[in-house]
Order: sequence, then structure tokens, then C-alpha cells
Amino acid sequence: MGVEVPKIDFKKIDGSSPGYYAICAIWLIICLIGVYAYYLQWIHGEQLTGLNNQVPWGFGIAAVCYLIGASAGSLIVSALSGVFEKEEFKIFSRSAAFFAAAMIVAAMGAIFTDIGNPANSINFLIHFNPTSIFSWNAFLYSSYFVVCVVYLLAQFEDKKFLTRCIAVFAVGWAVLVHSGTGGIVGFVYSNDFYHSSLTPPLFIVSAIASGLGLLIPTYILTFKWTKREYDLDLLWTLTKIMGAMVILLIYCFIVEGFEKGYMPASHEAFLRMITSPETPEVYVYWIGQIGLMLLALAIMLSPFRKREWAIMTASLLVAVAVFCERYTLIVPGLSYPYEILPGYEVVKPFHIVPYYPSWTEWAIVLGLFAGAYLAYCIGIKIFALLPEKAVKIEKGEVRK
Amino acid sequence: MISRRKFLVLVTAGAATIATGKALSLGEEKEKYTSELSEYKWGMVIDVDKCTKCVTEIMKKEGIDDIEKVRPPCIVECDKANNVPQSDKYYYSLIRLYMVKETEDANPLVFPVMCQECEHPACVEVCLTQASYKREDGIIVIDLHRCIGCRYCMIACPYNARRFLWEDPKELLKVVNPEAPVRKHGVVMKCEFCLWKIDRERAENKEPKPVCVEACPYNALIFGNLKDPNSEISKILKTSKVLTLRAYLGTNPKVKYKLWGD
Repeated sequence: MGVEVPKIDFKKIDGSSPGYYAICAIWLIICLIGVYAYYLQWIHGEQLTGLNNQVPWGFGIAAVCYLIGASAGSLIVSALSGVFEKEEFKIFSRSAAFFAAAMIVAAMGAIFTDIGNPANSINFLIHFNPTSIFSWNAFLYSSYFVVCVVYLLAQFEDKKFLTRCIAVFAVGWAVLVHSGTGGIVGFVYSNDFYHSSLTPPLFIVSAIASGLGLLIPTYILTFKWTKREYDLDLLWTLTKIMGAMVILLIYCFIVEGFEKGYMPASHEAFLRMITSPETPEVYVYWIGQIGLMLLALAIMLSPFRKREWAIMTASLLVAVAVFCERYTLIVPGLSYPYEILPGYEVVKPFHIVPYYPSWTEWAIVLGLFAGAYLAYCIGIKIFALLPEKAVKIEKGEVRK
Repeated sequence: MISRRKFLVLVTAGAATIATGKALSLGEEKEKYTSELSEYKWGMVIDVDKCTKCVTEIMKKEGIDDIEKVRPPCIVECDKANNVPQSDKYYYSLIRLYMVKETEDANPLVFPVMCQECEHPACVEVCLTQASYKREDGIIVIDLHRCIGCRYCMIACPYNARRFLWEDPKELLKVVNPEAPVRKHGVVMKCEFCLWKIDRERAENKEPKPVCVEACPYNALIFGNLKDPNSEISKILKTSKVLTLRAYLGTNPKVKYKLWGD
């Protein structure tokens, strides 16, 4: 006598309502504004950005880290049922995997739009540098996309054993991809702000938090707008996982902060970064990163925590806070000049260079986000990604 | 109408081809050969006292307080010869002057900092496309046809010695030196010890000298072959006390700073 395995019906959305087309149109318009901004940057060069020779990385690279993180986080959510045998989360497995693939494409788009000489970008593929962690990542990102699609394909074909095997592999690959991305920053030994072995694991934690931060509101709105029955308890469970990640992140910030503040060579720079309003980073750090995370935690611990609006707000706050975290990871270490000639009391020139992203940088990054969401909107219409009912399926219940 | 299955198979196959191509390129082994360049290891010793004298004199003479506005002959000639654009918005000069003091009222020291031509260069280590590479004579070069302008090398450089061309340099160049590379916007540039000049002079059996060395009125910059024990630079390094910038990083620069007189 065989055990009855719960079966979930995945169905395409109808996607013929004016609301659906309106949402797609909004994403498309943001995307087109991004394309236009990139066209201007292509013509006039990166002088259109707020970057300079002291702060050569900024908003674009923060977006690269964020999008890769969101992708890795989504894939981990997708694999919850396959790897951790949390069957109740199987309803999210297809759409989260698709979202992960869309996000990694957007991340690669963010790299492409940030480089100064995109005409030479094919050299990514032709000239591999084994000592460059970024070069390894270029390989990891493209292969990660393949893993996402294969994983999705295995799910479409309903190959259970294969799906489980790929899920295990995909989670491992996602961890590798994101650790590698953390390594791009953490292995830079010339900059005390960057150099940290904590960065790769911190990236994994941020990835799960931001992935969930984007997925939870996306799911709630998708299920509401497509009139699908859904179980808020399942999303609350995801919110709790996100909350745990936020606590872990705050713990990592404290450890990292103490470590940076402890060393006399860097404590002045660190204190100035978190206290001095010379650059906007101080606001991004206290309001964007720490403030929003604490607010999200407060909502998650409040008596209204299981309400739909509370779950959505907390998730969105975490999604934004993680972006701010990526920003404070990239920018302050460059805004504050590192000491080329240590040991002297007075060093000139010594400029703390404030960096303000230009409208083109905002437009390109928002365009990439919009592109990923447009792909999601189209994806749920042409592929059977969403469950007919997003509710917990009891063992033994078989759906036709 | 293409089926869902076929669509996904095609997308996967395409992406897999790219990923595999990338992975296969790992196995490519480059044929190693040595050229006559391997007989050289170019280095530079900078006499900080002389540089300080030159720069403070210019500051006094021209009434300049800001070290960043001082343009000694080494910087002026370097910019001209290497097609370095002059911009009000960005600092592109390949040499940057740093003025340091033990205390606010102490006598200053001036350090001209350019690419330190490290033995273990962080920029070469991180370059995605091997556009930055070390020649056999130790000069770190940027292949402009390979550079994708990702600026990771600038992030990794411990000496802030690299510049990214944010603007189109052609619009900012008054005179173009056809011998030196003319770059386009979106790539990174740095001091390469005027390799276009030293290679020519080496071929002409002359003593090679970068432009800044020739332009220096105080003979403060000593350039030479570190592999030749009889070169002036080798002799200075044997007898003088020199400073290496950020030596603790282990990059082992080939530009040294002489702080004390003979």
C-alpha cells in the first residue's frame, strides 16, 4: 500500500484583466526609463554618475550585491521543500526559483551597466583570471542561472527525485555564489573597511533576509490580486525566518563594528562614518540599515505581527534595510580615504568624499528591479508557477 | 508555438554553453617563454628631501597653499607625454603629491605617489579579464582592449594609483602624443613608467628614463634596472635607507622613498 503524496496544482494566471496590464505597463515604463538612462551613460560615459576616482564603486555595485543576494535568498526559499523536507513550502518552490533566475539576470544586468567599457564585456568569458574572485563569480553567476532553470525544469516535469537532488545542489551553489560575492568585497586587503572574513557569511544571511523581504509581499499581493486562496500562517513562518536573519545580521554588525572600532588605525574612520554627517552614509547607516531593521523587528514582535499589513510592512522594511546595508558596505570604505602614508599626524590631501548617486544610477538600478518584476509578471502568465491554492496541504490529501 | 519544455531546454542549453565555454577556458595553458625583457626589473627611488624642496619652492613662489594645486615639472610633463586629460571635475594625473607632517607645525615632507609597480600587485590579482598584467620587466600594464572598466583594480590598489576615465579624454587633450596610448572613456589608466618611451630607448641602446625622471630639475627620481648590480638604483638601495609604502601588505613595491640624505 503506497503512501499518498500531497500533490499541488500549479496553474498559470489568467492575466487578462486591466489591472494585470497596468502593473506590467508600470514595470515596463520604469524599465524604459532605465534603458534611456543607460543609453545616456553609454554615450556620455560614467561622468553621469556621482562616482569619482576616490569612490569608483557606488549604487550600481550595491545593487549587484543586493540582486545576487535576493536571488540566492529566493532559491533557498524555493528549496525549502526539497532540501529541508518542508512540504508545506512546496507551493512556493516554482515561483521562487523563477524569481531567483530573474534576479540573477538583473544582477548580471547591474554588472553590465556599471562597467565603463561594455563593448569589451565579452572578455569576461574569454580571459579568465584564476586569482580574481570576481572572475570566478562571473562563472558562478552564469552557471547559477543554468542551475535555476534546470531546477525549474525538473519541477515542471514533476521528477521528484531529480528535483530533490537539484534542490540540494542549487542551495549549495547559491551559498557558493553569494559567499563569492561577499569575497569580492571582503578579500580586498588594502581597505580596512572592506577587509573582513565575516563578509561572505554575512552576505548569506543578508541574502535570505532580502530574498524573503521581497518574496513575502510579492506573494501576498500576487495571491490577493489573482484571487487565490492563501494561508497567512505559511507567510508568517517565512516572516519568522526573516526575523531570525535580521537578528543575526544585527549581531554581525555589532561584532564587525567592534572589530573595526577596536583597531586604533581604523576606529577614527569608523566612528566618523557612523557619527559624522559629512557624508550621507551616516543617515543610510542609522536610519536605513539599523533603524529599518529594528522597526521591522518591532513590527514582527508587536501584537499585530500576524496581520497581513504587518507582515508586508516588515518584509518591505527588511528588503530596503538590506539594500542600505549593501550600500554602507561598499561606499563608506571609499568615501573615507585609507592611509597611504600611515604614521603621520597630518596628511594632505585628505578628503572625505561624499557620494550621491545620480538620477541615471537610480534609474538604471530601478529599471533592473522593474525588469525582474516584469519577468515575474510575464512568467506567472506563461508558466504554471503559482499554486491554485496557497494553503498548507495535509499528508494524505490528494488533489486532482 | 514553441512548447514550454522546448523553451526551457533552449534557454538552459544556451546558458550552459556560455558557462561551459567559460569553464573550458580555465584549462587553457599559455605557452611560457621569456624575452629580453626578463633581463630587466625596473624600479625607482624617490628622494623625498629633494621633492619636498622642489614643491615647497613652487608653493612659495606661486603663493599656493593647497598641495593639490601644485604642479611640479614631473607632473606637468608626465600628463603631456602620456595623454592625460586635464579636467576640472576629476583628478587624472598619474602622479599625486602627498604632504605629511609629524605635527601641524613640523617641517613638511612631500611624497609623489604613482603606481608602485608592485612585485605582488593586488590589481593584477583581482583583474577579471587579465587586462592588468605584469610584464617580464616588472611593469604593470593595462591592456586597453581587454579592460572592461569594472574598476575592481582601483578598489584593490593599496596606493590609490589608478584613474578611471569618466569623461572622453579626446575632448580634454590639448596636444596628443602619438607615441603614447590615447585612451577612450570607460577604461582605467595608471603610470606605466612610460613604457612606450623606455622600450624605444632600450631598443636604441640608450639609458631608458621615464618622462618624470627627465623632467625633474633636482634629479630626485632615480630610475633603473634592479637586476643590474651596477645600476645607480641598485647602488642606492645597497647604501641608503629607504621607505616602502604600506610594506606590511606584502605587495612589495618597486618604487622606494629615500627619506634621509647621503
